[in-house]
Amino acid sequence: MDNCTYEKLDISGLDAWFGDKQALKGVSLRIKPKTVTAVIGPSGCGKSTFIRCINRMHELTPGNRVSGVVLLDGVDIYKSVDSMDVRRKVGMVFQKPNPFPNMSISDNVVAGLKLIGAASKKELEAVAEENLKAVGLWKEVENDLKKSGASLSGGQQQRLCIARALAMRPEIILMDEPTSALDPASTAKIEDLVKTLKAETTVIIITHNVQQAARISDMTAFFYLGELIEYGETRTIFESPKSPLTERYITGRFG
Amino acid sequence: MQGKKSSSHYNRQDAVFKYLLISASLLVVGLFAALFLMLIRGSLPSILGNGLGFLTGTTWDPINGIYGALPAILTTIVTSLLAVGIAIPVALGIAIFFTEYAPVKAKFPLTVFIDLLAAIPSVIFGIWGLWIIAPLIKTYVQQPLVTSIGFIPIFGGPAYGISLSLASLILAIMVIPIIASLAIELLSRTPITLKEGMISLGATKWESVMRVGLPFARMGVIAAVMLGLGRALGETMAITMVIGNSYMWPFANPSIFAPATSITSKIASEFYEATSAIYAGSLIELALTLLIITLATNVAFRYIINKTNKEAKR
Amino acid sequence: MRMVSRKNKDRVARWLSLAITVLAIIPLLWIICSVVVNGISAINLEFITGVPAPYGESGGGIANAIFGTLIINAMASIFGIPVGILTGMYLSEYATKGKFSSAIRTSVESFSGVPSIIFGIFAFTIIVTNVRHYTALAAAFALGIMMIPIVAKATEESMRVVSDDMREAAIALGVPKWVRTVKIVLGVARGGVITGSLLAFARISGETAPLLFTALFSFYWPTGIDQPMATLQVLIYNFALSGYQERVLQAWGASLLLVMLVVAINIVVKIVTRQKYKEGI
Repeated sequence: MDNCTYEKLDISGLDAWFGDKQALKGVSLRIKPKTVTAVIGPSGCGKSTFIRCINRMHELTPGNRVSGVVLLDGVDIYKSVDSMDVRRKVGMVFQKPNPFPNMSISDNVVAGLKLIGAASKKELEAVAEENLKAVGLWKEVENDLKKSGASLSGGQQQRLCIARALAMRPEIILMDEPTSALDPASTAKIEDLVKTLKAETTVIIITHNVQQAARISDMTAFFYLGELIEYGETRTIFESPKSPLTERYITGRFG
Repeated sequence: MQGKKSSSHYNRQDAVFKYLLISASLLVVGLFAALFLMLIRGSLPSILGNGLGFLTGTTWDPINGIYGALPAILTTIVTSLLAVGIAIPVALGIAIFFTEYAPVKAKFPLTVFIDLLAAIPSVIFGIWGLWIIAPLIKTYVQQPLVTSIGFIPIFGGPAYGISLSLASLILAIMVIPIIASLAIELLSRTPITLKEGMISLGATKWESVMRVGLPFARMGVIAAVMLGLGRALGETMAITMVIGNSYMWPFANPSIFAPATSITSKIASEFYEATSAIYAGSLIELALTLLIITLATNVAFRYIINKTNKEAKR
Repeated sequence: MRMVSRKNKDRVARWLSLAITVLAIIPLLWIICSVVVNGISAINLEFITGVPAPYGESGGGIANAIFGTLIINAMASIFGIPVGILTGMYLSEYATKGKFSSAIRTSVESFSGVPSIIFGIFAFTIIVTNVRHYTALAAAFALGIMMIPIVAKATEESMRVVSDDMREAAIALGVPKWVRTVKIVLGVARGGVITGSLLAFARISGETAPLLFTALFSFYWPTGIDQPMATLQVLIYNFALSGYQERVLQAWGASLLLVMLVVAINIVVKIVTRQKYKEGI
């Protein structure tokens, strides 16, 4: 039965290189829609490379090479689609919040639409409000919408970046350690936010904090040295991991 | 609302934009090439008509068709070297004062002064040099010097006021801010660790600058000098107004108090009268010579900087 | 004993460098004072509204020169600033290590070292000889070329220091490269580009040599941009050397106006960039 359903993301045999160094080896997994998948593993295991292959940002690295199949809603994102289209369907939130300092808060939220003139002024205002509410920022900024996006605190900036990604109505949101640069209070807010996001979209989140993975994700993928070691329901991974490597990582024996 | 246009539309936009940028850049390269070509073409009547005598001749007599540019070339080189020679110690003095001894509150006003000095138009230096400084220099500096050491040919009389030395002085003032502001930047970038090392050894500020700051900034100072020299070589208006425009120096009168003519002042003052092809061609050949001297100086400096960098890396 | 002489050296250095600095500032103050003192008496209504009187006659003004400087500067800016910005953008965001990019960099670098009179001659040989008369357009061309390296360098440097985080955010949103370059990177860098353009404008306001063989001079109101045109710079040069005391006085008046323009722009730029340092942008 599993073989017949379209998954949101269907990855088979994904290899990726930086020049001579192979960062990903034969990664295959299927991600269901409207789930939160945590990607965990020690530094240098290929987590960042992995998600950057999903929105084709890995292509920006010099000396990059990718092979394998990545199907988003059944469509091969490397063959049939232009990279720009992929990125409009797959949003990304970065480790260090990066709102555009030369744009206002509301303009930051709708940047993906406004910059290419995709909507009218009224539509943009509505989108900004909707997404700021979705990330819980609306009350905090509704009187300061014209202020620079960089004038907010770190945690607020990150939520702004999430709103910016959300405003594109992406099929998937990729998050690269979104809370590692933030304080515990902001981290908690964002973790709660991530849990609500799966009603609208599919989330893949890298985290180096295994407790965070346990808290917020439905599925967990454990990477080690470029290979996908184990992938399954979070509860299973944490309570009865199949691989001893997984178990050692989760219990903090290394990484 | 997801962007109604397809990617091929955006890719086309990107291509158009890229070609726009490339066109602008090509224009710049093209203009540079055209500059050389037009100068060479314009100089041809002189290159063919005057030959090498242009560079070695010491007489400039358009009426009789004699075009010797050597005095002008020498004047340009000597005034520029003198100007830079005066400017370097002054600029370094300013930079040292700024980075080591100046009170914090004085620093911003100081940078304002330096930048303003650099921004004053050259024709203003000219009018000031001509009408205010020349008479004063003639009476209070040149004349006394002529009286006292005038037996030495380069300090010989009469004291004209408007002269090679005045031109060098005005040029020096114009060049000082260029070198000073760069030197300040460079000295400010001395790694704090090196400075603290010196201070912890009980070094004075002077020693710190001389032993650590300046050596560290050496490359940049050389580059700054190159920029200042380039400015001096190319300066036209201020020089034209205070140098006297005469072929007296150096062969008729080697005194620095004598009037002279630089390449730029010659072109500026004679271009309107250059009605014949060879006259105009000679002036354009002068311009070409100046361009070559300027670019050669740049290349030479860059070579020195690169070579010293390579040796430092070993 | 040695320590005392080391301290003395330091003290001497302190006072000597102070003296040198003061000495170097004196010319600036002297020039500004001279220009103000000599120029202010020349400024009256006729001066600002009238055209020059022939040599030897009294009265007249410099209004056509003020106008001419502004027009020529504006034309030069329309040419030089966009080309400079586009070139700077290319060097920052699109350039490779290849030969073409090196050629552009070399050209831009070399242009900034070329003496200004040579640009005047270049414009003369390209434009004036072809249309057979002096023309303000040629002056705008020469001055515009001089602006290009200043604006290009300022643009390239301001864009280069824009953090890659910004570029990545824009890429991840799927906006086309040109949008990212112009609206995001240039948007963040725009302060540096603006100050570079202002400085370029101030720079050409101070240049006279390129105007000599292009716009020449005129005692009349500008009749067209393809004709000779009076400018403050050339007026100062001509009048200061004219030997007619009243014209010399007017040259000082024109100098005052020119200095005010250039100083104003530079002070504005200085204040704006100082604020930038404080805000840490």
